[in-house]
Order: sequence, then structure tokens, then C-alpha cells
Amino acid sequence: MSTIITIPAQPRTGTGKGPARATRRSGRVPAVVYGAKKDPSLISLDPRDLMRALRAGSFMATVFDVDIAGKAERVLPRDVQFDPLSDAPMHVDFLRVSAATTVTVSIPVTFLNEEAAPGLKRGGLLNVVRHDIEANCRADAIPHHIEVDLTGLDIGDSVHISMVPLPDGVVPTITDRDFTVATIAAPTVVQEEATEVAEGEAAEGAEGETPEGEATEEAKGEDKAGEKSAKD
Amino acid sequence: MLQPKRTKYRKAHKGRIHGKAKGGFTLAFGAYGLKATSPGRLSARQIEAARRTITRHMKRLGKLWIRVFPDVPVSQKPAEVRQGKGKGTPEWWAARVKPGRIMFELDGVSKQTAVEAFTLAAAKLPVGTKVVVRLGEEG
Repeated sequence: MSTIITIPAQPRTGTGKGPARATRRSGRVPAVVYGAKKDPSLISLDPRDLMRALRAGSFMATVFDVDIAGKAERVLPRDVQFDPLSDAPMHVDFLRVSAATTVTVSIPVTFLNEEAAPGLKRGGLLNVVRHDIEANCRADAIPHHIEVDLTGLDIGDSVHISMVPLPDGVVPTITDRDFTVATIAAPTVVQEEATEVAEGEAAEGAEGETPEGEATEEAKGEDKAGEKSAKD
Repeated sequence: MLQPKRTKYRKAHKGRIHGKAKGGFTLAFGAYGLKATSPGRLSARQIEAARRTITRHMKRLGKLWIRVFPDVPVSQKPAEVRQGKGKGTPEWWAARVKPGRIMFELDGVSKQTAVEAFTLAAAKLPVGTKVVVRLGEEG
């Protein structure tokens, strides 16, 4: 495991949405630390420290030290809630972990040697089926990312989990099938043009039509009603 | 253009769009997304216009996901018709969008291309938008 980043935190009081909102109004992000058969600790974080950790990538698969008023706890993020509109973090869940703890984490996937893949050179598209892979591993041995080598892959080829070398002790949670991590898809230039021409012709033919066939009869009926009322 | 294959009822209430999106506000497929920042109804034509703009700008090299579907029939009365005599005929299909909803997602293109394509597409849409990037891919 590489150097562990420390996130400074402050304890907070009061549970529920009222105190949590008060914490947000004061410019901090509410969070909770739980697990290891201890009582949960309510804390708040500086949003700048949190955003720095989030932007670094692999946040959910990185072990941090949370410094709660001078007392450090080793934790693994389990959930981050974001505001739907502003995408600002609203709440974070941390799980206390020790070196011996086995955890289920989503580990991000990175792709290597894209220039050595003939399929991508010929204009193929790397279609990432899974941006991260859920796996069981020890908390002190969570890989920062899983590397997938694309060397020699052509259009139509796919990368399955069996082809990906996983570090020791990392076991994917999906074991019943050899799931796909990524595929190299054919460029869609030709198909797209064909469909657009067909759609254009269809649109010209259907111009002025109502969305449903039945609607035409009703429209006629209403036109008649309109004429009648105009005469009155 | 997108429209349902069949519907249970021909006409729907107009409705009002309140609040923020409760789902569909995080990137699920691609590395980049176009997020609504105001509520609104997207017509099937607007969605199609935005789709064409995006695919043409990225030279059809990346992969595009459309995360909204126009499933609300919008009725209109003919011109110069008096009020009453029942609800008008369904004329077009709309997707109701709440602020925060990811409408389009892109992958397989550079960030610059994605931002340019989304900016052009946003001009075709009746809602405020912003471009979002998957965390860890902002560099």
C-alpha cells in the first residue's frame, strides 16, 4: 500500500437531517465513521479536502486516515452522496478498517497500450463495459486500479475478466461467468449514414401526420365541431 | 424520432415539473454527460436534433447514450377552434426533465470534443445545461 492520505475532520453533534443541514450551512460536509464494533462517530469535513481526494480518482478504493480532533482512524469510503444539480458532496460514509479486514470494493479499470491495438488504430472504438470491477480483497491490499492491456486487440475483440491479471488476493465478486470488461467496437460511420438517409425519407413522407393513426378521425370530428360553432 | 411503441392511455395531463431529479443524475455509461440545470419538456424533435448534432460533431467516432425518452403525449387544439369540446389531439411526444437529470452521455472521444459537441447540442434544448465529467477523468 502506498502512503495513506490523511483527511482532517471535526467531530459534530446531533444526528438526523436538521444537524446535518446545519453542518452544510456552516460550509462543511457531514460524514460518519462506523464499523469495527465501535459506536459510530459523527464528523464533518472541509469540502476542499474532500474534493481533492475525490478528484484524485479511485476514491472508493482508497484507504484514508481520518484525523478526528487529533485521533486518527483508518477508514475506507463506502458511500458518497452528491447534490443532483451542483454535484457537490453532501455526505460521506466511512468504514473503519484494519489490515486484516476483507472488504468488497469497486476498483477502477485503466486501459494500457491503446496505440498497440490494431483495432483502435483502424478507427475502432474502445467500448468500456465496466468502468470499475467489484472485488473482494484485504483492506491493506486494495489496488489503486486494475490495468487492462489492449495490445493486439482488433475490432470485434473483447476483454473478459479471465484475461485481466489481478493482484494476489483480489477476487471478483462475479464468479459465475467470465464477464466482459471492454470491447473494441466497429466505427459506426457507415451504419449511421444509412439510418440517417432512411430517417430523412421517412420524415418527409410522414410530414403533417399526427403521432397516432386514430387521432386523425378525432381531428376530423373536432374540425367539424369547430365549423359548426363558427356558423353559430 | 423517439416515441413509445404503444401506450396505455392516449392523452396525458399536462403536469408540473417540481423539484430536483431523484435518479439519473450520475454518469452511468460514459465519461462525459450533459446535465439539465432547469426543468423542462424535451420534445422528440429536440432530442433528435441534439443527437444528430453530437454524432456529427464527433465524426461518429465515440459512443453516445440518450438517457431521456419522450413518453408523454402532448395534445394541441387546431388553430381557430373555440375552447371546450374536449381535449385536443396528441401532436408530439415530450420527455419531462428535472434539474440534475443527465440527458446524454458520451465516451470514446476527447474531453474537448465532448464539451464542443454538448455545447452545440445544448443550443437545441429548451433547458439550461452543464457538462459533467466522470470523477478522476477531469485531467
